[in-house]
Amino acid sequence: MDLSRFVDLYVSETHENIRLLQHSLVELESDAGTSAVAEAFRAAHTLKGISAAMGYQTVADLAHSLEDRLDAVRAGRVKPDAGTVDALLAAADELEEAITAAIEAGPSAGAPEAGSADATDGLAGRQSPAPDGTALVVHVRLRPDAPIKAARATLILRALAGMPGLLGSDPDQFDDDFDGRLRVFLDPSADAGAAATAIRSAGDVEEVQIQASAPAASASARQTRQVRVDGKRLDGLADGLGELSVLYARLQRVGMPAQAGDMIDRLGTVLGELEHEMRALRMVPLREVFERLPRVVRDAARTVGREIELVLEGEDVELDRAILDEIGEPLVHLLRNAVDHGVESGAARIAAGKPERGRIRVGAERERGSVRIVVEDDGAGVSSVRIVEKARAAGLYDRAEPPATDDELFRLMSMPGLSTADAVSAVSGRGVGMDVVVNRVRALGGAIDMKTRAGIGTTFRMRLPITLAVAQALRVRVGGEDYAIPLTHVSEAVELDDTTGDVTADMLRVRSHTMPLVRLRRVLGVTGEGREVAAVIAEIGDRRAALAVDELVGREQILVRTFDAVAGMLPCFSGATLLADGRPALVLDPLSVI
Amino acid sequence: MARTVLICDDALFMRTMLGDILKGAGFDVVGEAQTGAEAVKQYKALKPDLVTMDIVMPDMGGIDAVRAIVKEFPQARILMCSAMGQQALVIEAIQAGARDFVVKPFQPSRVLEAVQRVLG
Repeated sequence: MDLSRFVDLYVSETHENIRLLQHSLVELESDAGTSAVAEAFRAAHTLKGISAAMGYQTVADLAHSLEDRLDAVRAGRVKPDAGTVDALLAAADELEEAITAAIEAGPSAGAPEAGSADATDGLAGRQSPAPDGTALVVHVRLRPDAPIKAARATLILRALAGMPGLLGSDPDQFDDDFDGRLRVFLDPSADAGAAATAIRSAGDVEEVQIQASAPAASASARQTRQVRVDGKRLDGLADGLGELSVLYARLQRVGMPAQAGDMIDRLGTVLGELEHEMRALRMVPLREVFERLPRVVRDAARTVGREIELVLEGEDVELDRAILDEIGEPLVHLLRNAVDHGVESGAARIAAGKPERGRIRVGAERERGSVRIVVEDDGAGVSSVRIVEKARAAGLYDRAEPPATDDELFRLMSMPGLSTADAVSAVSGRGVGMDVVVNRVRALGGAIDMKTRAGIGTTFRMRLPITLAVAQALRVRVGGEDYAIPLTHVSEAVELDDTTGDVTADMLRVRSHTMPLVRLRRVLGVTGEGREVAAVIAEIGDRRAALAVDELVGREQILVRTFDAVAGMLPCFSGATLLADGRPALVLDPLSVI
Repeated sequence: MARTVLICDDALFMRTMLGDILKGAGFDVVGEAQTGAEAVKQYKALKPDLVTMDIVMPDMGGIDAVRAIVKEFPQARILMCSAMGQQALVIEAIQAGARDFVVKPFQPSRVLEAVQRVLG
């Protein structure tokens, strides 16, 4: 039996069960109820069974011994104290490593064979599957008395060569074993009749039969409709689609003959559908990242000797895989930080009149075109005094007074080289600082801010775009140059005239809000002619600013390419893009100028 | 006007036999060659409607001759004449540009079918 067909299924199922195992082990400690241990036992049992079936004996043995230990806990012979849970978690880690190693090594040669399945596999194995996109299969049989059938089949393929819609044939090369039967695969654009005529013209053909390729498809449909795809290929596809969208937008601007109009409209519809599909394809629930977090908090809390409850909300919220892959590390850092510096010791909490057990909440929700993730603790709040002390020691802060606002404090905390840990602790002092978190979030086109209240707790709020590939942007002009501002951060655009207030001032009042007016001409160092006639209102968290521009050109879909900052370049750009008219433009990061 | 044919084979017997079959079908045998090199030379001079080409010939083999002719005259209509057991060589000849093949010993009907396909 060919076990390699089951590897994907094995991968996803072991992944699921390892998570379940770790999750229930962490739960086991805080809530010694029987349901957690029963769940862990079930997961270990499943892992044992499927690993043995794949012939991964080492994995099965490890799972078996874990099962035994869990059984002892279940029967009450072993108490599920912290030490036991530590040991069980370590065993689960070992099991996970063994699974990874086994998957890399491939299905075991010593796997049990299923004899009956082999016979049918043998028959089917002779026929290679129709290539993707096959709509028609042409079955060809040569006359039994045809001499040198292999040469005749070569002539058939030559007769078909260059025919539109030809996908290939089976066999595609002919040797002494060739029995005079071949299958030719055609896609929907092919003219089957013309193909049949061409095949017959090659001579010695006894029979040509054209068949829709449905039977082949149903055979594979029985297996699974799930496809695992390398994320890079998906990225490539998304990039290609993004460029196609940009080309489409350019096409719309070029004067086209009337008869092309319908086709362009249709092109737009199809592109829209494709983009929708692509977004859906790339969407992954946050659960994939959230699953890891209980373990992170548990381990960190154990190290510093604190009791902390972790509450997760919004696990079903979906994000682009590319973003999801990037936010795991910042989230883990924020959590370790909350455990290490946020939540106080039990004694300190009781003294402050708080519950002994600390609480950290990670919540996610959809918010317009973005996802907001909040990491909130009920600890002592960020100590401004200590941050300033550290910053002074590192030569990063020379003002006499402490930061006046949370934003200022957070900016200070995110400076490279600032670590507030008194010693490099095993928990958060792993070389990942707040600066890395901030940079990562910004690189994704997102924003992060912090609110802290002494004695009450600290909240970090991240706003992330849902997808990376194509972004809606506002195109603006400043000093004759075009710039793109991602709409994620734009709440509205207003005209600057006498009714909106004094344009020369540094503040702008829009309805009930007064906000700073940032002059992009000044920020970008533009000296040429032009007048600021409009402002784009950027909104990050509850901070707002108006960015004054010379002209609002319009709204466009852009494909953002991030880049590493070029030396001497203004830090307010997060990437570059090609605009609809093919001109390159820099993507402005409003966050950096607010 | 009768269609013209150049017959290339090192064996007189084969040339005669093929000539008879083709003359019977109304062809005008305008030339005969015993080597590949001669076949190429005669093709250039005669530009016949059809060429029959043996695979194994002295001097230059039939496959090389096909290559040389097709290179200069991509429209050349060449029918390979093969013995049994020359499968790989026939495939090579087809890839070199021969339009069809017949297998010795010749059956007149099969030869004429193949000729029809080559000219069709």
